[in-house]
Amino acid sequence: MKNFAYVRPNSVEDAVSRATSDRDALFIAGGTNLVDRLKVFLDEPSQLLDVSRLAMKQIATTNEGGLKIGALVTNTALANNIDVRNNYPLLSRAILAGASQQIRNMATVGGNLMQRTRCPYYYDTAFPCNKRQPDTGCPAATGINRIHAILGSSDRCVAVNPSDMSVAMVALDATLEVQGVEGKREIPFVDFHRLPGNTPERDTNLEPGELITAVILPPVSFAQSGVYLKLRDRASYAFALVSVATALEVSGEQIKNARIALGGVAHKPWRATEAEEFLIGKAANKSNFEQAAEIALKDAQALAHNGFKIELSKRAIRRALAVSAQGGGEA
Amino acid sequence: MNQIIGTSVSRKDGRVKVTGEATYGAEHQIPGLVHGYLVTATIANGRIHNIDTKEAEDNPGVIAVFTHRNQPKIFQPSNGFFGLYESRLPLADDLIHYAGQIVGLVVANTLERARDAAHLVKVQYQTEQPQVEAQKATYQKAPSLFGEDFEFQEGTFETGDFSIASSDAAAKTEATYTTEIEIHAPMEPHALVAHWENQDSVTVYEPTQWVKGSQRTYAELLGIPVEGVRIISPYIGGAFGSKAFPWPHGILCVAAAREIQRPLKVVVSRRQMTANTGHRSQTEQTMRLAANKDGKLKAIEHTAKTCTSPVKNFPEPCTGITPVLYATPNMRLKQEIAVLNVGAPTFMRAPGENPGMFALESAMDELAWELNIDPVELRLRNETKEHQRKKLPFSAKHFAECLKTGAEKFGWSQRQMQPRSQKQGDLLVGWGMASSAFPALRSSAEAQVRLLPDGTAHVLTSANDMGTGAYTVVAMTAAETLGLPVAKVKVELGDSVLPNGGMAGGSQMTATLTPAVLAACQKVLETANAQNAPEAFANLRESGRAAYEATASSAPSEESKKFAFNSWGAHFCEVTVDEEIARLRVTRWVSVINIGRVLNSKTAASQIRGAVIMGIGQALMEECHFDPNTGYPVVYDLATYHYPAHADIPRIEVNFVGEPDFNFNPMGVRGVGEIGITGVSAAVSNAVYHATGKRIRSLPITPDKLL
Repeated sequence: MKNFAYVRPNSVEDAVSRATSDRDALFIAGGTNLVDRLKVFLDEPSQLLDVSRLAMKQIATTNEGGLKIGALVTNTALANNIDVRNNYPLLSRAILAGASQQIRNMATVGGNLMQRTRCPYYYDTAFPCNKRQPDTGCPAATGINRIHAILGSSDRCVAVNPSDMSVAMVALDATLEVQGVEGKREIPFVDFHRLPGNTPERDTNLEPGELITAVILPPVSFAQSGVYLKLRDRASYAFALVSVATALEVSGEQIKNARIALGGVAHKPWRATEAEEFLIGKAANKSNFEQAAEIALKDAQALAHNGFKIELSKRAIRRALAVSAQGGGEA
Repeated sequence: MNQIIGTSVSRKDGRVKVTGEATYGAEHQIPGLVHGYLVTATIANGRIHNIDTKEAEDNPGVIAVFTHRNQPKIFQPSNGFFGLYESRLPLADDLIHYAGQIVGLVVANTLERARDAAHLVKVQYQTEQPQVEAQKATYQKAPSLFGEDFEFQEGTFETGDFSIASSDAAAKTEATYTTEIEIHAPMEPHALVAHWENQDSVTVYEPTQWVKGSQRTYAELLGIPVEGVRIISPYIGGAFGSKAFPWPHGILCVAAAREIQRPLKVVVSRRQMTANTGHRSQTEQTMRLAANKDGKLKAIEHTAKTCTSPVKNFPEPCTGITPVLYATPNMRLKQEIAVLNVGAPTFMRAPGENPGMFALESAMDELAWELNIDPVELRLRNETKEHQRKKLPFSAKHFAECLKTGAEKFGWSQRQMQPRSQKQGDLLVGWGMASSAFPALRSSAEAQVRLLPDGTAHVLTSANDMGTGAYTVVAMTAAETLGLPVAKVKVELGDSVLPNGGMAGGSQMTATLTPAVLAACQKVLETANAQNAPEAFANLRESGRAAYEATASSAPSEESKKFAFNSWGAHFCEVTVDEEIARLRVTRWVSVINIGRVLNSKTAASQIRGAVIMGIGQALMEECHFDPNTGYPVVYDLATYHYPAHADIPRIEVNFVGEPDFNFNPMGVRGVGEIGITGVSAAVSNAVYHATGKRIRSLPITPDKLL
């Protein structure tokens, strides 16, 4: 580990300017992922830019009736926010399904979206890894890959994104507000995380130096039907084998609107758009949910040990949709 | 006489632990202390071609870098010496036998600098293909773990005629069961501080289950007299069998501290602990049972395959408990072993009995279904009054009582026999049970008691408290014998200068130590010419003496050789399965255990609860996998090695039979540390079968296996 400078920028602009002029600088807020990573030599920054004291801790109602969530709002604060609990219950549930209370107290929204995969091959510098060091290989593809991707992976990387919050955000059609030296820009959440392709070292479409400043949730009239179903190897404190976020707008017998997103299955939170489109105009029944699940997983590909995730994902989608059709709640 | 034994007493060490006053091995602060960080092999088979330490040595704060080229002085132990987990001494040569093997130690003035410099040691390897896959290994007959005289007898044994017996049986079952590698993952990592006062004497602050054993091992390897080594280990944050002997990191730390002439601390990281401080081997066991139509067993065949390491021959003794549990005229036990490129497997809570009883108790459940006999009834019909290999009757058994009481408390009679017949809304509900059993061991021990003028009694012995409650039962034994409140008894443990209190292993500490405490208390009262401590204190003040003091020992009697000693129990559990999404929860648990007399009902029940939780972990989630290509473990911390979280565990009701076993020792007590885990994984798996109709013979029962 190189010695690094610890700096507290006095504004977002200051932080972005420092990060832009020094490509080896890293932002730190809660540090729940980054500090672990520093200890095992995954990151060797020149400086840590501590943004945790900057003013991005508000949750405000937008003119459109949605919410603007500051990037430094903690997971705990967001999950327990009354507007989030009332209007976006699926987001609250997704956050509470992740990590532990202690970690959620420290972790922030911006940091959560920037956390990196827990692929064990990536996590230990004893292994080669294309994500860590481009062009060294992907031992997970031919190794122990029970927790790895079934959708959208490449021959260079089969890692999955570990965030629960992101699955809810992508289902809710969130938008990210980011700031660079040129000013602010917005990125639709669904386009924020990347598939690995030939550049698995890049997790997101942030440009160098850019800092997430807020996440904007549009109003979602049927968000009450939201469900977050997380399936894992133990009841708490484990990453998802498969997770599903769903919401349905049903009018009479007909589905007017559908949201389906998956976690634990791909390099990014996975929005199942085609399956959503299939459901629109259809009846909210078991057979249509089954077909939607088939469509969502039709391109899934199994590695040696993760084939079960395909079936588990389908079942989770069916279950989550069925609960959403009943008005939402715990699945 | 005040009644203390058998009551519920909170642990004496509780307050210092929750307030942080209790000092664990690595927390000892010594002026001038420096830090060592291990460099570990990133290949699993081969040799070191080159090791470049230049950059590490040049790093700020670095004091020394040790590799096989400058191994600190370590002596070969004498022949037949078994006080080591790894037979190979650290940094012995350039050979690599498993990933995570220590190839260097970097010493620096801060932990961060040591860790940083360790990362800069460049090792080039000549790599050979490692073998870490049990299915592809070559097996041969396993040796006896410690020799014939030990409780773990040779795993291969035959009596009667299996082929004749099984040919005309009314029911036969045959199935193969597997378990995965489990790591101990104690809360306190492996860690120590070594401080040489001069060239002939060293103090080692290290968690150990056996201070006198560690003392002997370190003395032998350092080439100094036993009295030159002092081990201090008052508190241990969990061990489960992995802290009984020195590991290579400990030997290296003590040896390196001598070279650098400074106090040295080494803490093994969680990542390193997945590879180089022990594990329970994976097992593959085939059980064949044959029975009459009334369920009486005619034959048992138990074949176990386990794996070991190039640096230690350790067979997980799976077949040892089989002749203990059920009567059968024909029995064939076979224990086989293969060598993989993994670190040394070792004792882990009920070594052998635990995986062995997963196979046996699952097979008994399968036989019960085959015969349409209630599984509790099947076990009652096959109870054996004697140990079938030792040919000795069991003392104070009460196994049937465990089964019957457990069934009653659980409400077993309400069980609908048919699988998939019990539901709770949309959830399938399954009830399962299994027997529990573990040998009762006892060795000799010595304790000293001092009565002081301030009205307190002090008990001193080298024995250890692994967090199990030893401080408290020692104090309770002394308090009752001396006629004092527990608060007036001070207990000092875990120091090799104290009288030999024996080893905290094999669930023998309480049965070994408390008789010695009892004897020492009786002796000190005789010395004081008093009926009880208050009288003795009066005599003390009158006489003007500084203290009354007595030391006594206690060992198994000749009389006790007429019996076989074992502890017994039964587990009953409920699971719910949400079949569509493969979500399994354990929702209810009842255990009835017979460990003879219960000294402290609170800490004894905690031991059983902890063991049940550990067993649920084995049943549902614990597994450490190794990359087949590199042989490197792909589990790296306590977030990726899954063991139960609170949310996984229901209320666990623990009951004891409580009948004293005075054949065993004058306290009537048998050990409680390990029995609780035996049978747990089978009870869960049997309940899963009852819930779903699906027999899962390979642990852990993760969601993928329920689809």
